[in-house]
Amino acid sequence: MSTSKRPMSPYMLGPYYKFQITSALSILNRITGVFMSVVTAPLLLCWLLALANGEEAYLAVTAWLGSGLGKLVIAASVFSFSFHLFGGIRHLIWDAGWMMEMSQVRSSGWLAIIGSIALSLIVIGAGL
Amino acid sequence: MQNPLARVRGKGSSGGGTHHWRSQRYSALILLLLTTWVLWMGVSLAGADYATASSVMSSPFHAGMAILLAGTVFYHIQLGLQVVIEDYVHLPALEFALLIFVRFACLVAFLISAMAALKLVLGS
Repeated sequence: MSTSKRPMSPYMLGPYYKFQITSALSILNRITGVFMSVVTAPLLLCWLLALANGEEAYLAVTAWLGSGLGKLVIAASVFSFSFHLFGGIRHLIWDAGWMMEMSQVRSSGWLAIIGSIALSLIVIGAGL
Repeated sequence: MQNPLARVRGKGSSGGGTHHWRSQRYSALILLLLTTWVLWMGVSLAGADYATASSVMSSPFHAGMAILLAGTVFYHIQLGLQVVIEDYVHLPALEFALLIFVRFACLVAFLISAMAALKLVLGS
């Protein structure tokens, strides 16, 4: 393509920029979003479909969810949900033009990390 | 994708950026409002047996919420994965194929979710 020789800004992760909370949380918001798109949403769809199909299918899906791998996937899904929730709220606040100072961006980042870990533990604890 | 090839190939923006940006935020806001219901359902249906789960999902309120959630989630997924594909997949043919696939997959996933939720609320 004719555009391939144009200069490009270096990718935010890698040798060109310092590793910092802003870029780390930015890519984590994408990773958790992609994980939920590719794993969590299809899994929830399987659960609903199995429930609509009858008891036998439902038991097969819940048996897998109760397995070691199933529990790991559920834990990763709960964390992804929690982090993407807090990350999304941060983005919506920025989109409104608020909390754009670097000190505020860093502290809201730490709040998102702590909040998402706390919410994950609460949800997993309540669901046990 | 719906614009003249000349514009897409480095001769200007596609012109659809604002609509995409706004749609992503509006769907995020709806999902934010649905968070409470999602957490409530997740916690109460975790490890539920068939009788419990099917009685909960046969309620018209929960079926309606499930359909609303599925519609918003799969729309948000389509918008989000589109950006990720556009940012990281640099092979034009593969990029195009993935974009088409994501669109169809999200639409089909929504239709299947809605049919399953309706089947549960209306009975087989």
